[in-house]
Amino acid sequence: MSRILDHPVFGKIHERELVSFQFDEKTYQAYKDETIAAALLANGVRKLRVHEESGTPRGIYCNIGHCMECRVTVNGQANTRACLTVVEQGMIVESGKQLPNIIKRMVEQR
Amino acid sequence: MTNIENMIICRCEEVTYGQLLSTANEHKCSARELKLRTRAGMGFCGGRTCRVSIDKMIEHVKPNITPGDIPLKYQPPVRPVTFGTVGEIK
Amino acid sequence: MRDVIVIGAGPAGLAGAISCAANGLLVTVLDEFMKPGGRLLGQLHQEPSGEWWNGIKEAERLHQEANKLAVDIRCGISVYNLEQEGHHWHVHTNTGRLTARFVLVATGAAEYPIPVPGWTLPGVMSIGAAQVMTNVHRVQVGKKGIIIGANILAFAILNELQLAGINIDRIVLPEKTPISGKAAEPEEIMKSLLQAAHLAPSPLLRFGGRFMKHDWIRKLGLTFFPKNGVKVNGTPLQLRKAAVEIIGKDQVEGVRVADTDVNGMIIPGSETIYEADFVCIAGGLYPLAELAAVAGCPFQYVPELGGHVPCHSEIMETPLEGLFVAGNITGIESGKIAMAQGNVAGLSIAKQAGKGTGTIDQQLQQAVQNIRNVRQNAAIQFNPEIDKGRKKMKELWKEHYAKGDEKFHKIG
Repeated sequence: MSRILDHPVFGKIHERELVSFQFDEKTYQAYKDETIAAALLANGVRKLRVHEESGTPRGIYCNIGHCMECRVTVNGQANTRACLTVVEQGMIVESGKQLPNIIKRMVEQR
Repeated sequence: MTNIENMIICRCEEVTYGQLLSTANEHKCSARELKLRTRAGMGFCGGRTCRVSIDKMIEHVKPNITPGDIPLKYQPPVRPVTFGTVGEIK
Repeated sequence: MRDVIVIGAGPAGLAGAISCAANGLLVTVLDEFMKPGGRLLGQLHQEPSGEWWNGIKEAERLHQEANKLAVDIRCGISVYNLEQEGHHWHVHTNTGRLTARFVLVATGAAEYPIPVPGWTLPGVMSIGAAQVMTNVHRVQVGKKGIIIGANILAFAILNELQLAGINIDRIVLPEKTPISGKAAEPEEIMKSLLQAAHLAPSPLLRFGGRFMKHDWIRKLGLTFFPKNGVKVNGTPLQLRKAAVEIIGKDQVEGVRVADTDVNGMIIPGSETIYEADFVCIAGGLYPLAELAAVAGCPFQYVPELGGHVPCHSEIMETPLEGLFVAGNITGIESGKIAMAQGNVAGLSIAKQAGKGTGTIDQQLQQAVQNIRNVRQNAAIQFNPEIDKGRKKMKELWKEHYAKGDEKFHKIG
C-alpha cells in the first residue's frame, strides 16, 4: 500500500529519516517513528502471524493496542503489539507461528 | 447460504457462534460459566473484543435477562504483561 | 512525590492534567500509544461554520499547554492494574509501579465488534483502525474497501478515508444475528439516521427527516429505498444489503453480500461477491472501563451512554476516595465533551486536594455548565438520547452516593 504523502487538510509529509528492519528474515524500509504495523502495511504486508493452534492468518484489527491480534516477536521478545511498537534501525521482527498444543493432544488421546 | 454456525466470536481462542450457542442452550449458563466452558473471552486480549458479543448471546438464550444483569467482571492484569513484570513488584 | 496520576493522554486526560497542574498539583500522565492525544489523533471533520476540526492540532495544543505546566507525560506505558491502599492508589504498569493520592481514569472507548464469517482474515479491521492508519500513520489501508455497519462513526470516518483518497466501494449492513441485532435492521438504521437528519448522508434522508417520523412512512421509504443505495459523498449506502461472509485465502479478497427485506432478513438466492482488499467493521463505541472495574468501582448499565459506565457524579468523582473519571469512560460523546469533562475532573481533584483559589467552587460550577453548553452545540452526537443517559447517572448518584453536604444543600 502506498503512503499518503499529501493530504488536502493535513498537508504534505515532510522528509523523514529512513530506517531498515527485518520481518521474517526479509529486509524492509520504514520511516523513523513509524509503528511496525504501519511500516509493514506500507510495504504491502498484511499478514503478521498465524493463529497459534489453527494456523489461520491474522493481521491488525484494532490498531490501538486493544485486540492483541498484531502480536509479533520483536528482538526476541514475544507477544509484542506491532501497532504500538515503533520501528528501530536493525530491529528483528518475526511473525507469530503455529505451535503444537501438547496438552490438548494428550487430553484428546485419553 | 449463510455460515453463521462456524462464525468465530472469540478471535483469540477461535470459539464459534455454534459452539457458544449449543453450550449456552445445553447448560443454561451464566456469562461466566459460558466463558469457562468454551474458553471464549479467556484468550490473549482478555475478552476485550468479544465480551459484548458473548453477553448478547446470553441475553438471546435467557429471555428474562437484560444487559444490565450481566455483571461487568474484569480481573487484573487488564493488559498482558510478562511474569517478570508482575514478579518484580514487592 | 506526585499528587495525581492520569491514565490516558486523550482529550479528557490531558485537559484533566492541565487543570490539576494549573492549580499547583504534580501530575504524571500515562498512555499506551507512542504519542499523546488519544483518539483526538486522526479526528477530522468540518464544523457547521465550515472550519475544520483537526484532532491532531488539538492534541498538539493540549500537549504544549501540559508541557508548559511541567506535566510529566509518559507514552508507551501500559497500565494493567489499579489498587487502593489506605489513602493512596497504586498504578501498576509494564515498567513498574507508581503511587499517588489521586487517580484520573480517562481510558476512553473501545469499538463494539460485529462478528462476520471470515472476519479474522488480514485486511479486516475495525473502522477506528482504518482512521488511525490513514490519518495518524498516513498509510493507505487498501485500494478498495467495504464498510460493514452504518452509524455516525462510520460516516465520519468514511469521509476521512475519502479525503485521503481511499476508495470505499460501498457501505452494507451486517447479517442479522442475535449479536448484530439492531445494527442489521434497515428500519432501525433509518430511524437513527433520521434522528441525525442534519448530518444525514443524502438529500433523500435529509428530506425524509421532516416527514418520515411515522412508522408506516418509514417502512414505505425503505420499500422504495433504491436498490443500489443512496450516495454518501459518492459511496453507496446500501441498507437493503447484508454482508454474509468475508472471503479470501491469506487476506481479504472480497465480501459475499445478500439482499434483504425491510426487516433485514436475507432473500435467498440474491448473493453477489464484491471485490475488495480491505473491510472495515463499524459497530460503534463502548466505554473502556476495565481499570475502573479492577479498582472496585461500582458500575451501572446505561444504554444511552454506550454500556456499562463507572458510577460518577457531575463533578467526575467516583464512590471510591481519590478516584476520578472523565471522557468516554463515562459515556460516548465527542472529544470536545471529553475535554470539558477532563477540566471538571481536574478542578474537582484540585478542590479535594485543598488547592485552588477561593473561587474554586465557582470555577467548578462554571466548568460543569460548560459541559452542557458544549453538548448543546455539538455538531456530532453519537447517541441522540445522551441527555437522558446523563440524567440517569446524575439521579443514581444523588440516590446512592451523594455526600452529606450535598444533601444538606438540597434541603437548605
